[in-house]
Amino acid sequence: MAETNTVPVSPGSAQPGSEGSRSRIDVLSFISTYGVFITLVACIVIFSVLDSDFIEIDNLRTQLGLAAPLLMLSLGLTVVLAMGDFDLSIAGTLSACAAAIVVLIVNHDWPWGLAVLVGIAFGLGIGAINGLLVSYVEMPSFITTLATFLILLGVEYMISDGRNITGAADMPDLYRDLGIGKPEPFTEFTSPVWIAAGLAIILWLMMSKTELGRYMYAIGGNPEAARLSGINVKALRALGFVVVGFVAVIAAVSQTARTASSIPRVGISLLLSAYAAAFLGAAASRKGLFNVPGTVLGVIFLQAVQSGLTILGYDRDILDISRGSILVLAMLLTALGASRR
Amino acid sequence: MTEAAQVVSAPLLEVSGVTKRYPGVLAVDDVSLSLEAGQIVGLVGKNGAGKSTLIKIIAGAEHADEGSLQLNGEPLVLHRPHDATVAGLAFVHQDLQDVGDLSVAENVRMGLGYPRKVGLFVDWAELYRQAAEPLARLEADIAPRDSVGELSVAKQRLVMIARGLAQQAQLLVLDEPSASLTDEEIDHLFAVVRRLRDDGITVVYVSHRLEEIFELTERVIVMRNGQLVADESTESLDRSSLIAHITGHEHAQTAVERRASRGVGGRPDTEVVLEVDGVSADTGVNDCSFDVRKGEILGVGGLMGSGRTEMVRAVFGADHRREGTVRVHGAEVSDRHPSESMAAGLALLPEDRKTQGNIMDFSVRHNITLASLDRHRARPRLPAPSGRMEKQAADRRIERLSIATPHDRQLVRLLSGGNQQKVVIAKWLEQGADVLIFDEPTIGVDVDGKEEIYDIMEELAAEGKAVVFISSEFSELVGVCHRVLVLHEGRIVGELEGDAVTEPAIVEICYSQH
Repeated sequence: MAETNTVPVSPGSAQPGSEGSRSRIDVLSFISTYGVFITLVACIVIFSVLDSDFIEIDNLRTQLGLAAPLLMLSLGLTVVLAMGDFDLSIAGTLSACAAAIVVLIVNHDWPWGLAVLVGIAFGLGIGAINGLLVSYVEMPSFITTLATFLILLGVEYMISDGRNITGAADMPDLYRDLGIGKPEPFTEFTSPVWIAAGLAIILWLMMSKTELGRYMYAIGGNPEAARLSGINVKALRALGFVVVGFVAVIAAVSQTARTASSIPRVGISLLLSAYAAAFLGAAASRKGLFNVPGTVLGVIFLQAVQSGLTILGYDRDILDISRGSILVLAMLLTALGASRR
Repeated sequence: MTEAAQVVSAPLLEVSGVTKRYPGVLAVDDVSLSLEAGQIVGLVGKNGAGKSTLIKIIAGAEHADEGSLQLNGEPLVLHRPHDATVAGLAFVHQDLQDVGDLSVAENVRMGLGYPRKVGLFVDWAELYRQAAEPLARLEADIAPRDSVGELSVAKQRLVMIARGLAQQAQLLVLDEPSASLTDEEIDHLFAVVRRLRDDGITVVYVSHRLEEIFELTERVIVMRNGQLVADESTESLDRSSLIAHITGHEHAQTAVERRASRGVGGRPDTEVVLEVDGVSADTGVNDCSFDVRKGEILGVGGLMGSGRTEMVRAVFGADHRREGTVRVHGAEVSDRHPSESMAAGLALLPEDRKTQGNIMDFSVRHNITLASLDRHRARPRLPAPSGRMEKQAADRRIERLSIATPHDRQLVRLLSGGNQQKVVIAKWLEQGADVLIFDEPTIGVDVDGKEEIYDIMEELAAEGKAVVFISSEFSELVGVCHRVLVLHEGRIVGELEGDAVTEPAIVEICYSQH
């Protein structure tokens, strides 16, 4: 942190510009603290000026609905990231569950409730296996969850044969409602938006208001000090993976109910966006910690950029380049200020 | 000719009017000093006195707000640490900055580039030969091919000194180099330092161990509150005048005087709180049995590697016990998880406050309440900590232990070493344990801070707690302990009580084991 300080020693004299440089530091620390917000606001203003459709309430509704599964995944990831672990298998769990649920409902005429229950059991099981391997067998989380991720992609392929499975006609309305319904009396937004919002509130309360959340951040800060303070580090780390497994299934339900289909490898495109959102959120926080409100902000950010560029008629290539560039810019602003603190 | 004469007469390093401000703190306040070639200079001062910041400025890791540096009469501008390396300034930090997975030779030549074959492949034979030369100068029994991670701390420090020699250093700064070293290793280190001095290298020796300053250095520079308060020849000082410079007030008590003035005697005649019976562990702990009474301070001494830390970790259940039992208030305590030991009333304040004691990125408040969070609930059944209650608890401990922090939300990382240690103590006081095991609580803590920690241990004992105090500085044990156990190779080989607790007696037991 000190290495990047560029205020030079001016040999043999006091520094005449020290007042000026101090106010420059203040501006930079402001930018670093609010870098992500500033970039987000700038994007929204630019998109709104270029095309007024962007800030239409209809577009807002659509975009939130589209972003809901991503938000759910990102929230789950926030929990494991806060404890210093990675979970890549989340995309595999989502894809495999999506395929399994749709196949059970559409091809095998299972009651949708039972199919969802099977999916939830599956997700919790995957989470438990990841947790066991990482926390109790002490395998590195990155490579462990990469392995389960690959296995799950294979499982998904077995279930779906690598094909889109669609069946709007065969899906019960109640199940479709989980994806496109607007529950009374909250008809402003579709169900996934409300489910994601509920999840965000629950996880926010858990992470920032309960003993559990405090312990989880302690583990992320220093697992050995946490253990010696009486915290059950192994159980909580394992719990994190179980939470992620559960959240992945909820995201799979929202996604398949909205599109009435399962699209092969649907989780992969969400995976990287989910990590981007969580890291943006950490960058936006004063202490640089992964946190629920930050993650929500990160998801809104990514979705806003995607929506704005789509409305302006840009193609996928520009979209990806822009998202990547904005991610770098936001992190850059944060890093720039962090070196000043 | 006159120009050449000037160069010869210029000091090696001249520091002029260096000032460094951090938000709210004047870390270094208008410090000027000059170092001649071929001197051993002691740099002492309390934690937070500005020593580290001054060293960082000379190392190019921090930039002074005001002032300048001159090397051999030429202005020296350091933009980054590499500039200092190139200029011949070498630094061996307390936290070793070697790369454990690499070989000794790779570490010694790090930053200098490795010799190449065919312009591409590392010429290992040549690299080992190059690294062997500075190691030989240190008479270090270290092979260039060894992996650094497997060396003792003492040898790792020598590797870092060898790196300095390989960089043709003119000035070598050693920050707390004797920490974690055995007496023999310290003797060797001193011999190395003297030889480097004879070769014309200037050595700046930073230490809280004043005995070492008197034994080794020719000149002492004392810093206090960011200012240079004394710069004198070591001969002109005695222990109490040096402590007076460091603390800014006149008082310097030896351990024996402290023991006498506090009336520390034998163990109190009270009930036994902690009983340890035949404990062995795979970490080398071998059949240790002892007990501690209510209100007693039990010291644990022994040389580095004698198994002190390992013994108390096994007692606390931080490591598993192979054999033996631990009882608190007569009830057996399992070694399954530290939480069970804590529930029984045991607390371990670990050796390394940075890696084991504190969550460095947590605030003071959150560290203090971490081990007792379930007692700071707004509603007893709701597992949600109340910020108000946590703040009250933290403020109470901050005041009671005089923790120097601007507020309870300050990150522990930003506190000085002594205050970080106090935060660990505060956490366990808040947790309310009956038996507190302090593992090296005073390492890297300045004179005043050490005295405060002794006082805290005595207050705890007076309140009826049982205290176990591990220290490498035997004089500390003499100053406060009713009774002292001496360990060797994981076994308890001696026990001293009351008037028998003297430094020579502890040393005698340690060295009669070989």
